Amino acid sequence: MNRSIRRIQLLLAAALLLAGATAANAGHHNTRSSSRTSVNRNTNINHNRNTNVNVNSRRNVNIDVDVDHHHGCCYHDYHPVARATAVVATAAVIGSIVTSIPPSCTVVMVNGLTYQQCGNTWYQPQFVGTTTSYVVVAAPR
Amino acid sequence: MRRRPYEQRAGLIWALLLLTMLPAVASAQDVEAGATAALDRMGAYLRTLKAFQVTAETSRDVVLENGLKAQFSSTTDLLARLPDRLRADVAGDLSDRRYVYDGKEFTLLAERLNYYATVPAPPTIGALANALEERFDIELPLVDLFRWGSADGPRTPITLAVDLGASAVDGTTCTHYAFRQAGLDWQIWIQRGDYPLPRRLVLTTTTDEARPEFEARYEWNLAPSFNESAFVFEAPEGAHRIALAEVPAMQAK
Repeated sequence: MNRSIRRIQLLLAAALLLAGATAANAGHHNTRSSSRTSVNRNTNINHNRNTNVNVNSRRNVNIDVDVDHHHGCCYHDYHPVARATAVVATAAVIGSIVTSIPPSCTVVMVNGLTYQQCGNTWYQPQFVGTTTSYVVVAAPR
Repeated sequence: MRRRPYEQRAGLIWALLLLTMLPAVASAQDVEAGATAALDRMGAYLRTLKAFQVTAETSRDVVLENGLKAQFSSTTDLLARLPDRLRADVAGDLSDRRYVYDGKEFTLLAERLNYYATVPAPPTIGALANALEERFDIELPLVDLFRWGSADGPRTPITLAVDLGASAVDGTTCTHYAFRQAGLDWQIWIQRGDYPLPRRLVLTTTTDEARPEFEARYEWNLAPSFNESAFVFEAPEGAHRIALAEVPAMQAK
């Protein structure tokens, strides 16, 4: 019993390490649905907005994970600038939306709006529903 | 006495006849008047409350693309003064959010990220709930508590309603009811006696074969102490204001 628990702990630790090492791939626990959270809700409004990087795959609604977390189910919160992700390649297109941004970005305020500048790429953080995401925008200045 | 074969056959035919009649009988009682009346009574009672604080332990299933069901938990601490003050803190596995409404503005704060968004808001909690859903795809935490017994807000017809009898929730005797509406089976436990409060809610979403569930257990405080500042948003140090994306017009039917 104890042994098997220890084995599971080891496995978990290994899995976490692995997940950390491949953070870029661990992110997309795409979901196909989630439970409703209220009885009285107007279901005629289509609330499934695509907030995913990969707009080609089917109805990718990410787990409603805060991007201040690492990915999906098992990580905990860090500011996105502290995280390593590999969305840069797809993120440079203006107007595209990403759920996380590369490390070493700088918060810049322009005309009262918050931006994250990551090299030459500018992101505008926003709430989409209650989830945060980042829109790639033209340099605001 | 032994019955003759033809008598047995006649009995069988009667039984079959009765069986075919059963669904017709059952459908007439699919919506038990007592169950919907209890819901109405609870709603009417909720609408008499001028202020309340409720703490809810909730869990919510998310279905991954591969069909795997994952359950996430959060705790919601909500303070409301009707009709136009609301504050809610939702601390969860996936995110922490604060909702603050002072009758004029609504603010959503992502605590760990330290991002917030503020938008002008309508003058009542009910109108706020509708506006947030329609314009921003934001559901107020525990929004049902403001919609039961209220005329404004969406309502879906109930096609099944059943009284399942007594059931205790956290030591309080309740009556357990089950309902069905389009896309959703749900159960509610309503406190017995003079204070018919919802104490537990279970939603089963039936539009996905994995049938993801949501559950909330409510702890009520009907005499909360608070002052006005609870409903006034103050940006935490270093917080950055960001935009709240509107639902694209094309997607709202």
